[in-house]
Order: sequence, then C-alpha cells, then structure tokens
Amino acid sequence: MSSAPQVRRIGLRPRRKNLNGNRPGWVTYLILTVVLILSAYPLYYSFLLGSSDATTIARTPIPSLIPQGNFVENAARVMSSDIKFWTSVLNSVIVAVVTALSVVFFSTLAGYSFAKLSFRGRGPLLVFVVATMAVPTQLSIVPMFIVMAKLGWTGRLEAVIVPGMVTAFGVFWMTQYLESALPFELVEAARVDGCSMFRTFWHVALPAARPAAAMLGLFTFIGSWTSFFWPFIVLGSANPTLPVSIQLLQASYFKDYSLILAGVTMAALPLIVVFIIAGRQLVAGVMQGAVKG
Amino acid sequence: MRTRITTTAALVTAFGLGLAGCSSSGQEGDGSGKVTLTLATFNEFGYEDLIKEYMAAHPNVTIEHKKAATSNEARDNMNTRLAAGSGLSDIEAIEVDWLPELRQYPDRFVDLKSDSVKDRWLPWKVKQATTDDGKLIGYGTDIGPEAICYRADLFKAAGLPSDRDQVATFLGSTWEDYFAAGKKFQAKSKVPWMESAGSIFNAMVNQVPNAYEDNDGKVIATENPQVRQMYDTVLQASKDGLSAGLAQWSTDWTSSFQRNGFATMVCPAWMLGVIEGNGANVKGWDVANTFPGGGGNWGGSFLTVPAQSKHPNEAKALADWLTAPEQQVKAFQAKGTFPSQEAALKSPELLAATRPYFNDAPTGKILAERAKAVTVVPFKGPKYSGINDAMQQALGRVDVTKTDSAAASWDKFVTAVKALG
Amino acid sequence: MPTVTTVGAAPAAAPTPTLRQRLSRWDVRISPYLYISPFFILFALVGLFPLLYTFWVSLHQWNLIGGQGKFVGIGNYSYVLEQPQFWVGLRNTFSIFLLSGVAQTLGALALAAVLDQNIRAKTFWRMGVLLPYVVAPVAVGVIFSKMFADQSGLFNALLDKVGIGAIGWHADVLPSHIAIATMVNFRWTGYVTLIFLAAMQAIPREVYEAALMDGAGRVRQFFSVTIPMLRPTIIFVVITATIGGLQIFDEPRVFDQSGLGGSDRQWMTVTMYIYELGWGPQKNFGRAAAVSWVLFLIIILVGLINFMITRRIAASDAPKSPPPEAVATGTGANPDAAAAHRSTNGAATGDAPGPRHPEVTL
Repeated sequence: MSSAPQVRRIGLRPRRKNLNGNRPGWVTYLILTVVLILSAYPLYYSFLLGSSDATTIARTPIPSLIPQGNFVENAARVMSSDIKFWTSVLNSVIVAVVTALSVVFFSTLAGYSFAKLSFRGRGPLLVFVVATMAVPTQLSIVPMFIVMAKLGWTGRLEAVIVPGMVTAFGVFWMTQYLESALPFELVEAARVDGCSMFRTFWHVALPAARPAAAMLGLFTFIGSWTSFFWPFIVLGSANPTLPVSIQLLQASYFKDYSLILAGVTMAALPLIVVFIIAGRQLVAGVMQGAVKG
Repeated sequence: MRTRITTTAALVTAFGLGLAGCSSSGQEGDGSGKVTLTLATFNEFGYEDLIKEYMAAHPNVTIEHKKAATSNEARDNMNTRLAAGSGLSDIEAIEVDWLPELRQYPDRFVDLKSDSVKDRWLPWKVKQATTDDGKLIGYGTDIGPEAICYRADLFKAAGLPSDRDQVATFLGSTWEDYFAAGKKFQAKSKVPWMESAGSIFNAMVNQVPNAYEDNDGKVIATENPQVRQMYDTVLQASKDGLSAGLAQWSTDWTSSFQRNGFATMVCPAWMLGVIEGNGANVKGWDVANTFPGGGGNWGGSFLTVPAQSKHPNEAKALADWLTAPEQQVKAFQAKGTFPSQEAALKSPELLAATRPYFNDAPTGKILAERAKAVTVVPFKGPKYSGINDAMQQALGRVDVTKTDSAAASWDKFVTAVKALG
Repeated sequence: MPTVTTVGAAPAAAPTPTLRQRLSRWDVRISPYLYISPFFILFALVGLFPLLYTFWVSLHQWNLIGGQGKFVGIGNYSYVLEQPQFWVGLRNTFSIFLLSGVAQTLGALALAAVLDQNIRAKTFWRMGVLLPYVVAPVAVGVIFSKMFADQSGLFNALLDKVGIGAIGWHADVLPSHIAIATMVNFRWTGYVTLIFLAAMQAIPREVYEAALMDGAGRVRQFFSVTIPMLRPTIIFVVITATIGGLQIFDEPRVFDQSGLGGSDRQWMTVTMYIYELGWGPQKNFGRAAAVSWVLFLIIILVGLINFMITRRIAASDAPKSPPPEAVATGTGANPDAAAAHRSTNGAATGDAPGPRHPEVTL
C-alpha cells in the first residue's frame, strides 16, 4: 500500500541532547527520584507488612524499612488458604486481557470515526459519548444485575467482560488523540489508493494510534485487574477474580494484615510485568514527528 | 509482522471469550438425583470440615461454599440479589442485625419450622428469627453473649483486685456499679476505663425492650426518657474522664491495644479473637463472669433458605444438620463461634474450653452462663439500625471527635431521626 | 492493490455506477456508523437501561428489597433537596474535587514536562509514576489510615514533634478533605501525568526548534508552545477529571471504619449519600435514584462550565472540524477534540475501567 513507505519512515527518535543544548540536569533526576519514592512507597509498604507477621504489625505503627523475611511463608499461606487463588489469577488474566484488547480495538475504531470520518450527527453523538460518563454508577448495580440474571450470566466471566468491552473514556481518548496524531492527508492517500474503509482503518489509523492505544490498553488492563465491587456482586467467591479472592483474606473479625497485604502484593506483581511490556510501546517513537518532518 | 500480532490478538480475544464460558461456576446437577447446594457465609463460621463430612455422608449432594470477607459485603450482595429477584444461594447466612428488615418480607424466605428443631435453641434466639405470624425464617448458629474483659495487670497496678472472681464482684451487677468501679480505677491510674461512650451505650440499649420503637414500630427514640437517660449517663462518664474516646474498629482503636488504650471492654464471644489478635504479646487480659444489667447479647447469625432456592427441602435439611448442637460444637472448636443451641451449651467440650491468652480463663463456662443470663430481647423494627447509627454518630461527635456539646449533638440526633421517616 | 473493475453487466458509460462503486459508496456512508455502533450497542445494554430504570425508580417509593411502591412523581426529588445532608454532601464533594482536581492537573502537567525530556531509563521513570495506580484500594486504605489516624498516626506524630500539634483529620472538615484529596491525588496523579506525557510526545520538535531560534527559554517554551499545543488534552483531562471527581466514592469511603463520612458527615460525598440512601438502613432506592439524577445534571453543568473556562486558557479559537491544511502544516491551531459541547441527557457506562470510575469498593 502506498502508505507503507511513510509508515516505515517512523523510527525511534535518535537519542540526542535536549533542544536547549544540555542533558537534563541533576535537578530533574532529583525530582524524579522523590516522585518515584513517593509513588513506590505504598507497594513497598504492602510488601513490608506482607513480610512481617500480625504481632509485629500490631506493635509497630511505622514499619522499619527493612523487610522482615516472612514473605515467602505468607505467600504460601495465601496460596494454600481457602480462597481459590489460582482460579482467580486465571480469571483475572482472562478478564483483563480480553477487556483491554477489546477496549483498545473498539475505542480506536470509534475514535477514528469521530476524529477523521464525516457523517451526520457526528458532533452530537460525540458529546453524547462524553456525557455518558457523567452518571453515578452506584445505582446501575441493581439493573445491571437484573440484566445479567436474565442472560444467565451471573457467576460467569462474560458478566464482567462484556459491560467493559468498550468505554466512553476509551472512545473519547482515542478520538482526541487521533484528531491531532493522524493527519487527514494520510487517510486521504489511503482512500485514493483504493483502500476500503476498514483497510484504511487497519493499516493507517491503528499504527498511528499505537502509543495512545498502548496507554489505553495499559490503563484498561490495570483498571480491570483491580476492579472489585462489580465482580464481587456478579461473580462472588465461587468464580472470583483476584481482588475478590484477596478480599476474602480479610474474613474473620480479626484481620491478619501480614496475610492480607502479602496477598495484595502478590496481586500487584503481574501488573508490574504488564508495565514493562507496555512501557516499551510507550517509549517507541511517535509517528507525528516523522510525518511533519 | 503487524498482521501476525493483530491476528494473535484476535485469537486471544476469541479464545478468552471461549474460556470465559469454560470458567463459569458449576451449574445444577443433571436431574438424576444429584443435587448441588450453594451455601453463602461470611467471616468464619467454621463449616469447612463439616461440609466435607456432610458430602461424604450424602453422596448425591454437592455443596459449594461461597464466602464473603465481611458481613457488610455479604449484606450488600444479598440485598442486591433480593432486589433483582435471583442469584441467592440455597442457604444464605445472615446476621441478627439484618433481621428487622428481612422479617418484613417473610415471603422471600422458606418457613423452616420443623419438629426436629423444636427446643433446640435458647428461646430468645428463636424469637429473633420468628416473624409476627409465627414463621421461622432462620436457624440460629452462633451468638455473642457478653462478659467483661479487663486488664488484670492494670487493675493490680491500681491496687484493685485482679483475680477474675473478685473482679466480678468489684464490677458489680449494674451499670452504676460499673461506672463507680471505673471512678475508683481512674483515681489510681492514667489508663482510661472504657473505650468510648458509644460502645457502652451499645451494650446498654440491647437490654432495653423498646428503646427506639414501640411494638407497633412507631418511632419513640427521641421522646423515650430511657434513651435520653442512657445518652446522658454515658456522656457523663465520658466527661468524668472514664472514656478513651476511641471509635470501635478505627485505626486508633486497633493501635490502642498495644498502647494500654483502655482497661475494660464489653466482650461478646467473638471479640475474644479480636483482642487476641490486636493485642498480640500483650499480657494481662482476663475475663470476668459478670455483665452489668445481668445479661446481654451482641450479634449472632442464622442460616436462612431463600424462597428463590430450587432445592428448598435439601437446603433445609442441610441447614438443620449444620445447626445441630454436635455440629455447632465442632464449629466452635474450629473457629470459636459460640453456640446458640441449648444442648451445645451443656456439652463438655464447650464447658472445658479455656483460652490461654486470657490467663487460661474458662471462657466456655463463663460465656455459657452469660448466655443464660440474657433475659431481654430488644424489639428491633425496620428503623432500628438507622436510629442506632444516628445515635452512635451523636455520641461520637461528643466523645470521639469532640466537635459538639452533648445538647447540640442531641438536637442533630433528633433531626437525623426525623429524616429517616 | 485493489483496482476498480466492473462486475456482471457489460461496461457502461460513466453515469451508471458499477456495483463496485456502489459498494464503495455504501462503505463510506455506513462504515462510520458501523464503527461507532459497538459502543452504542453496549451502552444501550449497560448504560441506557440502568439510566432509564433509575429514572423510573426515582419517581416511585421504592424499597431496595421490597420493590416498587406507589408513584410519587417529584416527591423524592423535593425530599432530597430539602435534606441538609444532601447539601453537606455537595459541599464536601466540591471541596474535595477542587483540592484534588486542581492539584492533580497542575502537578501532572509539571511532572509530564519533566518526563518529556531526554532522560535516561525513560521507561523506568515513566512507569514509576504509575505505581500508585497499581496498588489495591485495600492497601491504600490501610496505609493512609495509619498515616492520618488522629491519635496513632504518622502525620500527627510528626506534627507533634515539630511543635505544631495534632490535627483532627477525622474530626474537622477541611483537614479531612485535605487528607482525602491527598489519597486521591496519590492514586491518580501518575495516571494523568502519563496522559499529558503522551500528548506532549506528539508535539513535533520542529515547533520547539522554531521557538528556540526565536529566543524563547525553556519556561517560555513551556507556556507558549507546550500548553497551547496541549489544549485538547487539557480539555480532555479537565472534563474527565470533573466527571470522575464529582463522583468520588472509594477514597472517602475507606477513610474511616463506618464508611458514612464521619460522625458529622465531615467528608461524606454525594455518591456516598446515594449509597447510604439505597443500601443503608433506609434502603430507599427511590430517594437514592433521585439524588443520582440530580448529581448527573450537576456534573453535566459543571462539566460545561469547566470546558468553557479551559477553552479560554490557550491562545486562539479553532474551527471545529480539522481543515486538512491546518493539520498538515502542523501549526499551533489544533482543532478542539471535544467539538461543540451541548448538554444532553446522557447515560451511564457499565462498570468499565476509566478514570476515577466509581468502583464501589468496600
């Protein structure tokens, strides 16, 4: 396709000094370090408490910075306790992956339409999409549950995946990104070359959207992974996702925080992995600069 | 290359959706006499081994045990499914506090009356789950008979008796005695006597037959002199310096166990585990076999069979078995849930139970006696918990956050009660 | 490469469209609607139905368990608007929203600018700011409870040492709002930073080069180049932050053990009030639904206001649809992403991941 050579022109931006002629100084790195410490502390804290034991936690309000070393033991307790740990990990993976892929695809599809295609009602429909984010969702729990019950989906993963397959946030985000990141002439060029609408989308819009799509995918994945209340209501502890089963570690009147936070830490680890994968995508160049250059 | 990635992505999505179908929870049996029963509980009921036992004895029955971490989650879950009309388990565990509401909808629950459970439980426990037209909607599981837990070491340091029988006498049998003992303690010690005005009020109001509503359900909370009197009494005790001003279950309250937060506390059976956990490595807790006002109960659960259930008879049979005295004693041994069945309260295993953390106190015997001492079943109509919440907040404003005077806080209480109407 | 061919009939003169041409035209006309339809179909199921259902509920006396009662028209609405608690909730919501929203947006802008530079180990730093978002609300709740506890908390211990004295984080109104805003900012600032960063990365370097040659220093570049080019993104962030911020639920709910917003409702937000009305002792679904609708209308209104304010911040007004020339030359006038913002009666999304989507966490 004629757009292919243009696409290939995009590469990683060459590593060079800042426009202003100097490398970022130590102030920059200092700020970043402070921010990183603040950001990482909650995760580290949950690791600290997860490596401790109930007695120590009860005694010392501020944990020492050095982990105590019980983490493996607590992790084993988490996995062997009655909470269907591995089932819930599998469920969470399925739900989060499918949801993220689906949201990215459908949001980009819709975003491309709103951003680059002209059709009647485009403006009002986009506003409508944005407005749909505005309603408080507490009450929709009951009607949604009724719908799921009628469909026979309570206790099944569909009930959690399907409502989240495309989001207003995703559509809005991709619309906004593609408006400025995808030059109209690229689309035109593809159409002139005879591409159908869908091929245009597939070969032109999707690549252009890659950084934003990676971001959206990452956010969606994390959001889906950490979501609790709806999976709890509709799946329950019979077929749980990870946050639901981790919450079960709180069962009993006395809460053993070393166990609970060991579970929380374990639940966060897969997300770190996803970070690293998606992070590469986010750093890998942007089309815009190459086209305009 | 791009095509390959996107093809993979599409396959993953399709595969995932397919897997989603596979990962669903097990469905009903195929009608060949096999039955799958679902059982929903929360916290720890101690049923894990019992379930295995039942399934072994009844090969055609499979039991799926669904647990919620806290009773609040379980309650939200249950309410949502009641509202939606489907999705409840065959057996749903409930807490006694939910009953005032649920008793208004007796048609949502199966009548569990049967000869095999006649005289099984303490009478006041049965009464809680009986509707106005005599339907029994719940089988009792555990109860929370209250005693007083105290710090023997702090008592000793204040020159007061510390042996539990002597302390029982020292604490007396009325609330006046309790507060008087508190004053004696505070004269010699810096440690507050009680956690908060709210926790004592909670214990007091459970001993009044019609505190907030009369038997027709009419709200009398704001005019009932008893309520005002209890309100003033606990706040006076707070003013006298007896209260630590710690809202129960708050972070400060949890930490206070390690910092000599308070010297005594109202102690239902299930609180023992909490004290032991929060007060890890703290030595000195003991249990006194007394309770101001005679007897009191806080909490307790039941097993219900929702009318939605497709197997009401089998569910009823399972619930009957689970709440039989023998099984409840086993649950007690597993997780400390205190039995509500008369026969269980006489069982040797129960009466011999002691707790090393509490100075080897014979907690089984103490709490069994406390359970028998309960005489009053407070009437709890549909507005009860709303009014009680408003009262706890009113007390908190004065005792915990100290943002209002007692009089101003009472006025806000009155407004809040009106708003519930 | 697909070429235009005729199918079936013998080649005709130009005016008669071939099948292929007709298909192509249909393709152009239908495709947009087809592409946006997945969202709207799903929305009809998980958004529109709950919304209409909620409206229906709000017109009746409706107990959560008991079900539909008698029709009361606007009775629920008038009741709710008369409750002082509703107005307290509104006050708290706006206060927390301002404290958190403004801080987050400004902080994220600054942080994104720092991250936009050519630093080593980019992925590491950039992903690092997102870490708070990854941690489960349980852990965040535990940590901040321990930090903000009135008697046994970290902050008050430090304040005591420094001589300022303890602050009533759970007793007084403004401190409680600051504490909750801190929790919210903690969780979401990294998220917003990455959004800004992605947009900043899309700004072509040539524009900066041009500004540099004109003699603009780094700070000047930031205000005269970055911010205007970021306008659509800033609008996007402000709108989503408004919508999400006015629905704040999780963080204030876990701020204390009762989840009611304090014994004097110091930090009770409107969504907490909805939950209390519907699931609390009252189980008054009708009133909860009425508050939901009122909140919805307020959010639309405030969203509009915010949109109009933010629009003025950057330099020029831009045409709504992107004229190809303007985009191609890469000049500063970026078309407004959000197009014309008219109010509609929109609806709810399902429980989908999004910014501050009010996960009803317990």
